[in-house]
Amino acid sequence: MPEGPAIAQLDLELRHIRKRYGDFVAVNDVSLQVGKGQFVCLLGPSGCGKTTTLRCVAGLEEPDGGDILIGGKEVTGEPPWKRDIAMMFQDFALFPHMTVAKQVGFGLEMLKKPKAQIAARVAEVLKAFEIAHLAERRPSQLSGGQKQRVALARAMITEPRILLLDEPIGALDYSLRETVMLELKALQKRSGISFIWVTHDQNEAFSLGDHVVVMNHAKIEQQGAPDEVLSRPRTAFVAGFIQGNNVFEGKAAAARDGVLEIATVAGPFRVPLLDITAPAPGSVVTFSVRAERLIENPDAAVANRLTLNCVTVEYFGAFRRHVLEGPAGLIVKYDQFGALPQSIREGETVTLGWALDSGVLHRAPGV
Amino acid sequence: MHWKTRSRLTSWLLGIVTIGFLLFQWAPMFTMFTLSFAGENGGTTFPMNGVSLHWYHKLWEADLFDDFKPPMLRSFLLALACSATTVVLSVCAAQAMRGRFRGNGLYFYLLLLGLMAPGILVGFGFAILTRLLGIEGAWNTTAYVVHVSWALPFGFLTMLAVFNRFDPRLEEAALTLGANRVTAFRRITWPIILPGIIGTALFGFSLSYDEYARTLFTAGSDGTLPLAVMATLDRQLTPELYAIGTVTTAMSLTVIALCVIGFWLRARALRGRPS
Amino acid sequence: MSTIRLRSPAAFWLALPAGLWMLLAVVLPVLLIVWVSLWGGTTVSPNNPITFDNYQRFLSNENYLWLIGDTLLQTAMIMTITGVMGYCIAYFLTVKVTSPGWRLALFLAFVIPFWTSTLIRAIAFVPFLGVNGLLNQALMGIGLIERPIQAFLYSRLGISMAQVSLYTLLASGPVVYMLNSIPPALREAAMTLKAPPIIVFWRIVLPLTLPGIIIGQVLVFLNVLADFITVTTVGGNKLAFLGNLILLFYEGSQIRMTAVVSVLLMLLMLAGVAIALRIVDIRKVGS
Repeated sequence: MPEGPAIAQLDLELRHIRKRYGDFVAVNDVSLQVGKGQFVCLLGPSGCGKTTTLRCVAGLEEPDGGDILIGGKEVTGEPPWKRDIAMMFQDFALFPHMTVAKQVGFGLEMLKKPKAQIAARVAEVLKAFEIAHLAERRPSQLSGGQKQRVALARAMITEPRILLLDEPIGALDYSLRETVMLELKALQKRSGISFIWVTHDQNEAFSLGDHVVVMNHAKIEQQGAPDEVLSRPRTAFVAGFIQGNNVFEGKAAAARDGVLEIATVAGPFRVPLLDITAPAPGSVVTFSVRAERLIENPDAAVANRLTLNCVTVEYFGAFRRHVLEGPAGLIVKYDQFGALPQSIREGETVTLGWALDSGVLHRAPGV
Repeated sequence: MHWKTRSRLTSWLLGIVTIGFLLFQWAPMFTMFTLSFAGENGGTTFPMNGVSLHWYHKLWEADLFDDFKPPMLRSFLLALACSATTVVLSVCAAQAMRGRFRGNGLYFYLLLLGLMAPGILVGFGFAILTRLLGIEGAWNTTAYVVHVSWALPFGFLTMLAVFNRFDPRLEEAALTLGANRVTAFRRITWPIILPGIIGTALFGFSLSYDEYARTLFTAGSDGTLPLAVMATLDRQLTPELYAIGTVTTAMSLTVIALCVIGFWLRARALRGRPS
Repeated sequence: MSTIRLRSPAAFWLALPAGLWMLLAVVLPVLLIVWVSLWGGTTVSPNNPITFDNYQRFLSNENYLWLIGDTLLQTAMIMTITGVMGYCIAYFLTVKVTSPGWRLALFLAFVIPFWTSTLIRAIAFVPFLGVNGLLNQALMGIGLIERPIQAFLYSRLGISMAQVSLYTLLASGPVVYMLNSIPPALREAAMTLKAPPIIVFWRIVLPLTLPGIIIGQVLVFLNVLADFITVTTVGGNKLAFLGNLILLFYEGSQIRMTAVVSVLLMLLMLAGVAIALRIVDIRKVGS
């Protein structure tokens, strides 16, 4: 049952989508709104339900419950060929028995456009994607990058409202990926088509998306603008999934003046509550601190501190990562950016701390 | 993986067994080929008494007792019909299996029964059935039904394997591009599975053309070529039979060659001209 | 999703024709055979309904029992020979032959005869095995024998040779399939664990190809058990096995006896397949 009036400005609306395969729940109550011309990335580990959700939007899977609205129109029961969508598959799914020209024109054939019009439009699109010279080739004669362009041209020629992309650059050589990512981002902006991009690679998701949806175990853990998700992860999973976060777990103690005190194995820490309601004392809470926000040998004004022993130091070119061990086997990462000389050696003991604002409290699980 | 140690010896031993067996497998047919060109007075074994096409001429000319042309024609037509029917039924059945309908496990075994049941049993049983129903056995009715039941399991297995290798994403891509299921099957699936279909057709043809046991019970008075051959054999073995054997084998080999050439050409077309 | 919707009525209707065809052409006839074997009377309408008299009559005849035993013996012998030879050939083709050109050529040489008529191939054994036949000529030519051997043709030896020639592919094919599906890395891993080639074969390769061996043996079993064409063509009318007996009764218009022997053949076949299935699960092989 639709919850409210359909909003025509939304390119896509998912309302409480559910899908299970036997005992396995693939998508559990997923709701999403995609505005006009938005670039949305579904991010998560394999098996989290992002691909199934995408396929439900395409109509390639039929959800057990929930509604799908494209452009304000309810399409939940409609088969894929009736939906205003196009899809790019991970291995491109090019038709091996058709030339490039024929396949790119396929979508228009299905729309019953006259032959002359199709030919003209195909030539136009091939030129736009710089593959005009490949028109009479077959997929087996194309390189990975070329195949990707053909798949893209084939999908875009019908000018769909939404383009669905299932890990589209995963099959490309590493060196190509960056270039293709930028091209696709520019393409999306130019065309005004909403892109829904599924990936397990957070670099892709955070650099491409206007809106990032982090999924885990068939549910949406957090969604929002990339910098928002990066700086304020809402759950322990999101914090851990994103590179460069230290996740701490402890029991909630008293909350005073918008600051929560948390008792952990490494001692008490203070974290700002912000917009989260204070959890019941004694309940389990998690919070995270970005590895680069830690301060070496902090002065007395710094709110949180702990003493750790350095186990390894790894040099990543742009930054230096120290892995330190604390009480009860607690592992902490400290990243040092900038080409500074090494200040902490392996085996040394050091005190690290962080400012009050650097701690990000997570929502209680289930909230 | 191919290391050169003591396995040299086993290579040689196994090689001798293999080559020896191949020679053994081909020798009888080779004998038959050679003897079919025996002279007029040549018997059914060596010596050949000259080389001639005498027996081929005899094969061609109709004889009161030994006219093989009608049975050959009947076999050919029957095989065509069997082949076409097998293709249609196999494709439908294999496509249905993709839909995972209820009871498809049992269905799989049901179709495979035709493979396992020997010709005499199926033939005899079907003869009982037709007799109980009061139907006359004939090459183009009862034998046809039984031939299809023989070829169908093979066609079914072939098409199952073809669909197994087929990438369903290609169909999905077509669906997202606006094709409904029938159109997607017609424009995408069918062209790609075509080699498998041709294989099934040829399989069905040759299985029917060479079939003997089932046909023995179900063909009625006008027989097929294998039946005519066996009938002649019962009376007397003549080099004319070798001529038939050679002709039939040559036909089969031609068909295989055409197949192979066809596949090779198609593969080349799919690859396209080099850039 | 594909061009057929899961569990849709379309799937059911597509499956129906082939299913009905097999029910009509195979299942029903086989059931009728069983029914006929239990007839009391001789014509279409049985006088006495269901009786096991026919079986009693058949099984009490020593000659028939001996024939069944003989058939089983022949089957076992052919199974063994084709099994061993089939495995040697399969191993040679898949493991020992390195160049893909040669492998294809040998494979084709092996398989092409099966596209020709089994009947013709059986008939071709007559001039091959005969007193003046190719085999005798060849053996005398090499000097192995002085006088032609009569016992090749119209004998158990001849029939066996023909059956081996015809059915070795059945024993070999599944083994080829299984050998191909063993990743080379397995053999290499065993060798790095200090296993000599013979152990690698015995402990790694052979067990993994066991399903192929069993399937091959079942195929040979089914074919030899019911074979009657080769027996009459190459054996003349000197020998008879189970298949010939069925045909004999049929041509003598003894429908009930035909049915009885047919049922016994069926039971033997089912027993063989059941034993094989206990050793290997066939459906797992395909995955």
